[in-house]
Amino acid sequence: MDTTDLTTAQAGSKTIATTTKTVLREAGIGIALIALIIVFSFTPHFLSSSNVTNILTQVTINLVLSIGMTFVILIGGIDLSVGSVLSFCAVVAGTVMTLPGLDPAVAVFLATISAIVAGIGFGLLNGLISAWWAIPSFIVTLGTLNIARGAALQVTNASTIYSFPAAFNAFGSQTFYGIPLLFLIALVLVAIGWFVLTKTVFGRVLYGIGNNEEAARLAGHNVFFYKVAAFTICGVLVGIGAIIYMARLNIASPIIGIGFELNAIAAVIIGGTSLSGGRGSIVGTLLGACIIGVLANGLILLGLSDFMRQMITGFVIILAVILDKYRERLTKA
Amino acid sequence: MAGAAAPAPAGAAPVIELSGVKKRFGGVVALNGVSFSLRPGEVHALVGENGAGKSTLIKILCGIIQRDAGSITLGGETYDPHTPGDAKKAGIQVVHQEFNLLPYLSVAENICFEDMPRKAFGMVDYPTLYAKARKALDAIGLGDVDVRRPVESLGVAHRQLVEIARALMGESRILILDEPTATLTARETERLFQIIAALKAKGVAVVFVSHHLNEVFSICDRVTVLRNGESVMTADIAGTTTDQLVTNMVGRQLAAAMATARDLDTGGRTALSLRNLRHPASPHAEGVSFDLHYGEILGIAGLVGSGRTELLRSIFAADLPLSGTIERDGQPRRYRNPKQAIRDGIGFVTEDRKEEGLILGMAIAANVTLASLRKVSRLGLLDKREETRLTRALGDEIRLKYGDTADAVSTLSGGNQQKVVLAKWLANNPKILLLDEPTRGVDVGAKAEIYALLRGLSEKGLALLIVSSELPELITLSDRILVMSKHRIAGEVARADFSEERILNFAYKDERNHGHH
Repeated sequence: MDTTDLTTAQAGSKTIATTTKTVLREAGIGIALIALIIVFSFTPHFLSSSNVTNILTQVTINLVLSIGMTFVILIGGIDLSVGSVLSFCAVVAGTVMTLPGLDPAVAVFLATISAIVAGIGFGLLNGLISAWWAIPSFIVTLGTLNIARGAALQVTNASTIYSFPAAFNAFGSQTFYGIPLLFLIALVLVAIGWFVLTKTVFGRVLYGIGNNEEAARLAGHNVFFYKVAAFTICGVLVGIGAIIYMARLNIASPIIGIGFELNAIAAVIIGGTSLSGGRGSIVGTLLGACIIGVLANGLILLGLSDFMRQMITGFVIILAVILDKYRERLTKA
Repeated sequence: MAGAAAPAPAGAAPVIELSGVKKRFGGVVALNGVSFSLRPGEVHALVGENGAGKSTLIKILCGIIQRDAGSITLGGETYDPHTPGDAKKAGIQVVHQEFNLLPYLSVAENICFEDMPRKAFGMVDYPTLYAKARKALDAIGLGDVDVRRPVESLGVAHRQLVEIARALMGESRILILDEPTATLTARETERLFQIIAALKAKGVAVVFVSHHLNEVFSICDRVTVLRNGESVMTADIAGTTTDQLVTNMVGRQLAAAMATARDLDTGGRTALSLRNLRHPASPHAEGVSFDLHYGEILGIAGLVGSGRTELLRSIFAADLPLSGTIERDGQPRRYRNPKQAIRDGIGFVTEDRKEEGLILGMAIAANVTLASLRKVSRLGLLDKREETRLTRALGDEIRLKYGDTADAVSTLSGGNQQKVVLAKWLANNPKILLLDEPTRGVDVGAKAEIYALLRGLSEKGLALLIVSSELPELITLSDRILVMSKHRIAGEVARADFSEERILNFAYKDERNHGHH
């Protein structure tokens, strides 16, 4: 009986040790975020409650897309289509939501379902094509980027959809103690993503495939399934992202979401996930998305032009990857 | 023949002299004090088991990596190359075991790649290029190969010779040949030996790395044995015996383990039965047929490229077989993927643990449970406590040396990494274990432990199918040995008749037949 207890206690302490290691990895990114916040807090309005609400609102959509992107990048893939697919999901959902004669609640419900279904459709397409023919997902999603954009323009005849139910618009601007409801939804998605990646067999195998696909296959795992699943999960999040976008801005248009994929990739990379797959975390992605949001907001408050802001964000992405190289060396030593 | 050239004078000043050379990679000691010297015009064999440090030593000599300690003097001066270019300038040429050719460029471009003849504005002077390459190929007896052909269109043996031609382009004082005969047929090997004899006559010192001791005895003047990163013996070939070399290569500890006779008991039921199993890599062969019994260790010998790895891969459905049948416990099976083979009680320790066996960046525990995640989870949720417990239990069973089950598996030594691969399959309680080069890159101590472990498994009734390039290993472990050649079974040797000669005879049978036409 004593031995059993001892083993259990040891196992417990090991788990803690592992957790600490992971936390330490993410601590660096967290420190960077806090440092940014401290620096910007010297500008007059940065910490005002309305500005905080503003930042969180700005972060929300990128955060949702980045969660899906993390899954795809972890298996060594990339999804360039998320911006266009978001636009396609939005126009599909917008069309459903504005169908004449629907009860507002039903309309919103059906629209949400249809956005997610559209996202799943494109996710499946990306995953199936790249996994079946072993085509780099960079190329496949470059294709679907154009397909989704073209489809969105075709469906709407290049026009914008608006006048959604009033309750839907109100939902989009709801806040709790200054925290936007939409951001809270994004946090719930972060929590789910974190749980799936760290606590489930599915997440473990995903990491395994990202690290060494052949070893995972020879250990009896269905690599094809996991690849398709990662892209499909990304699609689900794009669908949700589309609804969030519509709730916030009250429009659905075939020209929204341009460049969103790059922001999502940037958040994932700044968050410490390796582009070659197998290494990274959702918590890192959350911090990465926050860094991008804080940086954008703070630089505007500092009076920098939009162009300067873009340049600085670019430098930060490169800096993050360089720092990650050093961190990798430190953890290896 | 080649050995007839005059041996190097014993008193001549060495071209290069190494003493106490050491190198470690992280926690793994690759070289732990290597000393040896080369005389001008001698052929010096470098032998040792896999993982003994031969490759590391060669990489240091040709400037790919730098030594941590020890001295190297070249022609009386300290030699400290930092890039492969430094080594070439110093007159050291290497033909590596892995090919370093550019497959889509022509033979001529490959041969002259380091020093392309140029015209004005940096344009390539093709007539000179082709002429130089032609000369180089003729010099090594490849008169029939067009220098304009892309390298990818050549067979393996020709590529090897092109590598050698390329190495000979520079001024060479020292030529290092790393396993040059591994892919050559008997006839091509003969040709290579003539080239070596000619170089020797010109005063070039040749380092000859080979697993084939008969080659060492036929063309070398001296031999140095490496074991566990140390040079344990240097002697003139003339006064040396094969036994001496083997004992020095494997060490006394292992030599003792090898001497322990195995209780023969192959009366077990048939676990696996193959009939005409053909791998896509050789659609024209008749396929492979044999029976594997419970409690049996069946060895598979054969040259590189004889289809041994492909055989294991097609049993495990890592590659789908073209045709043929597999019976498991007498029931016909057609596995469509490794998952089905695993469910049916088969495990596969792959040849290349870094590429196929392990997920290096992940924890030891995650690697151990990779093939048995259902055991350490419920409803898709991982039970990390159970995972740690299972890893510890298996770790004790196979005497794994590790710090923490959460450490990355990349922090372990080669031998312990290999044990993790074994643990991964043992976690599944397999009935059949396929092992491809189970002790590659493993130090001698761990090797003896792995041998004991494998014996123990077979005594428990597991059926083991072991592919190995090291004949002493197969002879030690196996109850029977099947010899493969050209993707089929060329012969079977019973334990009572085990000898390296007998096995090699089967392995080379086809090569010899081809040598005559």
